[in-house]
Amino acid sequence: MKRFSVLCTLIICLSSSTVWAHFQMLYTPESALPTGKIIELRHVFTHPFADEHTMDMGLQHDSDKLMPVEEFYVVNKGNKKDLATTLQEIEWQGQHNRGKGFKSTYKAQRMGDHVLVLQPAPYFEASEDMYIQQITKTIVNVAGAPTDWDTELGLKAEIVPLVKPYSIWAGSTFTGIVKSNGRPVPYAEIEVEYLNRAVDLEHNATGSSFVEAPQDSFVTLGMKADVNGIFTFGIPRAGWWGFAALGVGSDTSYKGKELSQDAVIWVQAKEMR
Amino acid sequence: MKTLFIATLALVGIAVSVPVWAHTPLLSCFDEGDGSVTCEGGFSDGSSASGVEFRLEQDGKILLKTKLNAYAEVNFTKPELPYEAIFYGGKGHEVRINGGDIF
Repeated sequence: MKRFSVLCTLIICLSSSTVWAHFQMLYTPESALPTGKIIELRHVFTHPFADEHTMDMGLQHDSDKLMPVEEFYVVNKGNKKDLATTLQEIEWQGQHNRGKGFKSTYKAQRMGDHVLVLQPAPYFEASEDMYIQQITKTIVNVAGAPTDWDTELGLKAEIVPLVKPYSIWAGSTFTGIVKSNGRPVPYAEIEVEYLNRAVDLEHNATGSSFVEAPQDSFVTLGMKADVNGIFTFGIPRAGWWGFAALGVGSDTSYKGKELSQDAVIWVQAKEMR
Repeated sequence: MKTLFIATLALVGIAVSVPVWAHTPLLSCFDEGDGSVTCEGGFSDGSSASGVEFRLEQDGKILLKTKLNAYAEVNFTKPELPYEAIFYGGKGHEVRINGGDIF
């Protein structure tokens, strides 16, 4: 009986860690551009450290048809531009399966910060009988002039950076504040993952891993915001790091099922050399 | 009295120089594709470069001398011969971009 209880606990732990390790990617190779250029973007719902399963974005419980992205836009110098029409469907080849996502290009031409925001349709996670929607921000800077990186967009779920997310040295820190509709979320639960894979833009695929986790708890790192919704994370290695504040959004149900509306932000650290 | 005067001068010097040295001047230009080029100026602390001097030079000859507009931008007809775009934020605080590097 005791063995049964232990087994049950293990199963619950394993299944829950799988659920919470989902990360919406809004990937581009370089976030700090010396000059303006057309950049490649990839929108993939995956597990960036372990790459154990790539999800079909927009998967629904009551239909075989995938729901389209709800919003995709950019803000530069306070001007919002819709980019939804730039999305093209792709199949992303992960290490273990293929999943449906999107690719797009964006002309990051003007000087300053380009705050890219992706609001995918809720994704049905069958193992938990619930939906996940990760409202995701990636910020690209042109020529070093800061303009919009710390702008609060008033999203239902949002991480507002308190450190420029494109100029972080490896070994330094990233600080952000978790908000929902402009209000800080005290003690928000935050998960952190390292993009532990080379990204092959030409073939829409992930490559081999950079590092190995010494134990499962290192795959998805866990932390909490303080009473004011603020958190700080020490970044140990160069590359892309994703932060997901879980269930902080104001929408809590979708199609009659529980919805975890999460806030995601991606930051890129550089080696000091 | 002389010491006080020198100390005052030093303090004034520091007070004046801090705003200048505390940020880096920035310039970014792009080809509009219609025969014109737009250049944007800025500073690394986010402060506006509106009103800052901007020049186009060709072998040391000034083709255009103006100030960045309210949006810290300037648009000009692309010169046919090689040129440099220059953001002049004060002595020692200028940024030059070779016209051949503007796309």
